[in-house]
Amino acid sequence: MVTARTKSVKGNLMALPSKSAPCWQKLATGGLKRLRTTNLGAQMLSQRLEMSKLSPMQKAEEVYDFFVKWERGLANEIAQLSSI
Amino acid sequence: MKSHSLAPSDFAGVVAGRLNALVALDDAAALILAGAPLAIAGRKEALDQLPAGNWIGGTTPYFLTADGGEMVDATRVFVTDFSGLGTVAARHYDADSLQDITQDAPEHGFSLAILPFQSQAHQRFAKEAGQYPLAFLKPTVGWIAGFDLGEDGTAAYVYDGSGGGALSDGAAVLQIAVPEGMMPIVEIVNIFSSDGVDILRFEEASFSPSDVIVNGQKRLFADYIRERGLEGGQLPLVGDYSGARINASLRSVEAAGVDLYAPVFPGIDYAFAAPVADYPSAFAEQFAAHDHEGAIWSCNCILNYLFGGLEGKTVGGVAGPVTFGEIAYQLVNQTLVQVRVI
Repeated sequence: MVTARTKSVKGNLMALPSKSAPCWQKLATGGLKRLRTTNLGAQMLSQRLEMSKLSPMQKAEEVYDFFVKWERGLANEIAQLSSI
Repeated sequence: MKSHSLAPSDFAGVVAGRLNALVALDDAAALILAGAPLAIAGRKEALDQLPAGNWIGGTTPYFLTADGGEMVDATRVFVTDFSGLGTVAARHYDADSLQDITQDAPEHGFSLAILPFQSQAHQRFAKEAGQYPLAFLKPTVGWIAGFDLGEDGTAAYVYDGSGGGALSDGAAVLQIAVPEGMMPIVEIVNIFSSDGVDILRFEEASFSPSDVIVNGQKRLFADYIRERGLEGGQLPLVGDYSGARINASLRSVEAAGVDLYAPVFPGIDYAFAAPVADYPSAFAEQFAAHDHEGAIWSCNCILNYLFGGLEGKTVGGVAGPVTFGEIAYQLVNQTLVQVRVI
């Protein structure tokens, strides 16, 4: 599933990667912590996932759902997905 | 007592001039009877007099307003009007069903929850809210109801608007939908940061941790606090949640142990906060760094009000109840919480 497009801080339109994209697993296994973000939900989710016993796939799904839900407010974070 | 007109909100730039201010009790009752969906804060003697309707409430006599912090009597209450957003429904959840707050929340919107200080619901929510499956998809904000610290024997209560009166446990919740295409943003303003002295860890989730791991060495938490001269409780523990600074404040430090206003958790790096010389300036500076477009609700902590001497002082134009704990997805302490809808 590819969602609507998001405008990055540089003004480029950034597409949210599909659910099967490897970036979600990378985010779920430590990448989220390396993301430069001031989004409180993303920071707290990152901490929860770090301490969670869920499988990497389950964690990736949770991260993906979070980005889909809050896509419009995560332009800065989405712009970083290709570099994590 | 002069009746406050139902003027636009104290928030600068608030959406559609929605009311967010102290008003006379009669004005609050009139708004309820007119069907407005409201969050109301005030003394128990005031909230007890309000009619049934689509509102929730919680007890506290302390407030921040655009004119400065103040303590009110029972002739006024603080009202936040959520009219014009989407469907707003008042509910009550007992301590065993708090997880349903996120389950029942609207797909597009947020939950505003008020829980009584020291209730079972307060304890349960503090320990569990961060683990609710939908915690970060359906955000919960809110506050812990309190009481007048100058009156002995008083307790905290919440109201669910059903006309059933004051409730000493559970969570009163407004489920607030926002229009399609808009979204709530939950933000915190925390004037505290790590003092950089020691890294502290805890072995279990607890309001009363007996031990602390200080830079890898286990020792009695109370001894460590006294050794640092921090038993006065003005400086909270600051937890590092992947960059977010989440406070847990000291309630008491006795020979037998330490009590906190929010639990600490294993797996989090904590440190004591560096001292803050001027609370109003620190808040104003940090508050100015945040975007306030669409701000519709806020609360701030009683410890900031007391230790920061905020009575009579403004905090960046923000207005809202002064509380015994704040909720931004989970319980936080000594923090200003703000919700914007954009």
